[in-house]
Amino acid sequence: MISAKEYDKDRFDRSKRIEWIDMDGIRNARCFVAGAGALGNEVMKCLVLSGFRDITVTDTDHVVLSNLNRCVFFKDGDVENGMKSDILAERASELDRDVRITARHDKVQDIGDWNEFDVILGCLDNISARLHVNAHAYYRDIPYIDGGTDGMMGKVQVVLPNGPCLRCAMNRTHYDVLVTRFSCTGKASAFYIPKNAAEITTTSTVAAMQVREAMKIASGCEGMCIRDMAYYNGISGETTILNIKKDNMCENHMGE
Amino acid sequence: MGIHVSVRNATLGATLKMDIAPNETVYDIIESAAEFWKKDPKAYVLRKGKSLLTATDTMMEANIMNGDVLELLPDPEGG
Repeated sequence: MISAKEYDKDRFDRSKRIEWIDMDGIRNARCFVAGAGALGNEVMKCLVLSGFRDITVTDTDHVVLSNLNRCVFFKDGDVENGMKSDILAERASELDRDVRITARHDKVQDIGDWNEFDVILGCLDNISARLHVNAHAYYRDIPYIDGGTDGMMGKVQVVLPNGPCLRCAMNRTHYDVLVTRFSCTGKASAFYIPKNAAEITTTSTVAAMQVREAMKIASGCEGMCIRDMAYYNGISGETTILNIKKDNMCENHMGE
Repeated sequence: MGIHVSVRNATLGATLKMDIAPNETVYDIIESAAEFWKKDPKAYVLRKGKSLLTATDTMMEANIMNGDVLELLPDPEGG
């Protein structure tokens, strides 16, 4: 016999009622969040509330006004007044003081300590950075959960050791986009991020799916993970699971 | 002898009928469909049922047959 109040002695009481969830595994998992924009905000919220305790987030950008339609942790006063990763780490820590969030301002191309992470959540806004994280994660057997949004469309691709990777699902249209993002002025190279449609309902759906996959991995339930991509259509409300074949032409799989 | 397929545009809901040579690749379909609909310069992928097709595969390698319905999807880049 227990008293009614005993139900509220544990912050994660309700989470622990889900049989496959391993709260120790989640608590001990070292997460790397690449990008502190819209997906990064939602992913961070879900990670902290789900019990992850060791999170590193990186982003090179400042907060701008147009971020505020979909970034739960950013406020008006943050516009042009702080780095995204710093603000995200500070505000998300307020959700649970037991969480340790490390903010960085590094490009993913400058990350050197990949082996310090057990799971990587991609919240990036360009193909070049995705390919970079994908290659490092695949090479080191670190599970990589990539999210992407385009208006009301979204996707989550789970890259597990020995499985198909992000590159396997790409084609020449991706490389055409990648090339158009770079512009050489003669004096320097510039990198352009297009102003694509983006809103919070698709963002939060995709981010929640990403964190759920991280929970499975941290709980030792990789076998339950999405194989290999969940494609979300926010207009029809459908989510389709798409299988991806390893591409023999993919440089990550040559020689396997 | 070509392979007759329908390609559905996931964004518009419209459908395009195509006649594909057996030695053409999945990427050829993506490129032609995107051009037909004058799609924005974004990344696209093609699916058949529950499979995301490998761009370098030919029609035979991708097991694409007469009457198949394929779907052109934008690959979301934003974060």
